[in-house]
Amino acid sequence: MKSLLIAHNTFREAMRDRLMAGVLVAGALMMLITQAISPLALGEARRLTVDLGLSSISLLGLLVILLVGTSLVAKEIERRTIFNLLSRPIARGVYLVGKWAGLSGALWATTALLTMALCAVLMVRGYGSDVPAVLQAGFFSALELSVVTAIAVLFSALSTPVLSALYTLGVWLVGQWTYDLRGFADRFPAGLKGLIRMVADLAPNLPLFNLRTLAAEGRVAPALHVLTAVGYAALYVACALALASAALERREFK
Amino acid sequence: MEGAAVGSSTSNSGLRPVRDREIGHSRDAAPAIRAAGLCKFYRSNWTFKVTRGLESLDLEVERGEVLGLLGPNGAGKTTTLKLLTGLLTPSAGQAWLLGVSIDETACRRSLGFLPEQPYFYDYLGGLEYLELAAGLSGVEPREIRARASHWLDRVGLGARPKLRLRKYSKGMLQRLGLAAALVHEPKLLILDEPMSGLDPLGRRDVRELILEQKARGTTVLFSSHILPDVEALCDRAAIILDGRLRRIAPVGELVDQGVRRVLVRCEPLGIVELPAEWGSRVKREDRGGETELHLGASDDVNRVLDWLIQRGKAVHAVTPERATLEALFLATAAGASDQTDRRSA
Repeated sequence: MKSLLIAHNTFREAMRDRLMAGVLVAGALMMLITQAISPLALGEARRLTVDLGLSSISLLGLLVILLVGTSLVAKEIERRTIFNLLSRPIARGVYLVGKWAGLSGALWATTALLTMALCAVLMVRGYGSDVPAVLQAGFFSALELSVVTAIAVLFSALSTPVLSALYTLGVWLVGQWTYDLRGFADRFPAGLKGLIRMVADLAPNLPLFNLRTLAAEGRVAPALHVLTAVGYAALYVACALALASAALERREFK
Repeated sequence: MEGAAVGSSTSNSGLRPVRDREIGHSRDAAPAIRAAGLCKFYRSNWTFKVTRGLESLDLEVERGEVLGLLGPNGAGKTTTLKLLTGLLTPSAGQAWLLGVSIDETACRRSLGFLPEQPYFYDYLGGLEYLELAAGLSGVEPREIRARASHWLDRVGLGARPKLRLRKYSKGMLQRLGLAAALVHEPKLLILDEPMSGLDPLGRRDVRELILEQKARGTTVLFSSHILPDVEALCDRAAIILDGRLRRIAPVGELVDQGVRRVLVRCEPLGIVELPAEWGSRVKREDRGGETELHLGASDDVNRVLDWLIQRGKAVHAVTPERATLEALFLATAAGASDQTDRRSA
């Protein structure tokens, strides 16, 4: 109940932020630009529309996380608004779950709006058969953003907004190339190889959520993949928030 | 800030009080606040130097009592309040709020807290903020709107409930902070410098609110630099200096300890000389239409009055010159400073 109240408030904060309106405008602009340049794609206009549309949704979501999510807790500590919350009967873990859920909710809402806009563009252009695949890819993008939000909340509980933005971006980059990193590790001696593999294992497996190529071909992922991705996201978010909670428990508010 | 029922036995708003599920009968008898050997030390991350925030605080505040914490900046007042409200973790010792250990989240169910210079979510309206505060403090969902509206009205901000907090003045924010601390009608109220930065009207309003809470049986612990406020509101005052509790006593007792001097005002003595044997114990000041006699000790009052009556001089007033809390505070601070100097020497 209390985490829902905090989530509602965080959602409200994010949606009232001008950044979110900017993100929606930027997303719509990207889709228009895609349509303007699609004649140059030499018969690949459909692929270009889907691929660029979905990529921009993901990247704009990441931008929101870097600008809002990474200061989610740190800003509250800096501005001392957290005093008014944590002096009430609220466990710090509950507070963090609420913050994560609120921003995730805002990202899900934004992703849903932009994905629907993309579907509308596809239908107008006569590519209606791609809509189910795009909707699924949009769902996966939102899942990925929820995982990255949990990482941002973890760093935000540990560090300053600037540093947590850098750390989150770093983890996101490593997470995008976890498969390549594992292959890359084999070129190094045992000790270093183990270290690189450990980094790849600890980083979120973000390619799991990337259905853009599949959607560009108009194909949907099988149910097993969906279940695996949802389960993995839930587990990763739970672990990140548990760590964040442990970190926040140790924080002192001078 | 007017219009609420003072002295209501259950609830200021007339709404059902917040359920207090965790506090059983044994806890009902416990003091509102108890601290035993509560310590806080801060360690610098860079130099590892340890500084004392609070040392070995033993304190009991009875239910329904109003206790004022006095001390200069950096004395440990805010540290004490933050330890009690869970914003800081004690380095040693333990404390209980209404019989529940401060280690438990449940101890804050019946607590209202106003931090020093409170900051709020500036994207919210006043009513939205109080609704959030009520919900987070455990007010039943169906009562949240009514309570938030009531308290917004109560602190005089009800005329524009949707006004965003970024447009609030400092005084308005302080009032909102008080409303947020009171919206769930807590049994214990902890206020950190509630009058700081307020104009005289704002201070009066806050004083009235504290007195109203006192009348309904709420325990209030507050820190302040404004000594007349402490004198006017508190049952007891505690003086904290350099992280240590130096004195704690009923305000009347602290002030009465200072009753030494007496002022006697009478009709002009003119050329009449005071008896030489009184020496410096009695000082005379002739002011316009009367003479003031300042007695260094109250033992001399009868002797001086007899002397005046024998000379047919009318006595206008006999006033004990009570030491102000401020004087006592300064004397305690000076004493503590002397002790520190002696130790370091």
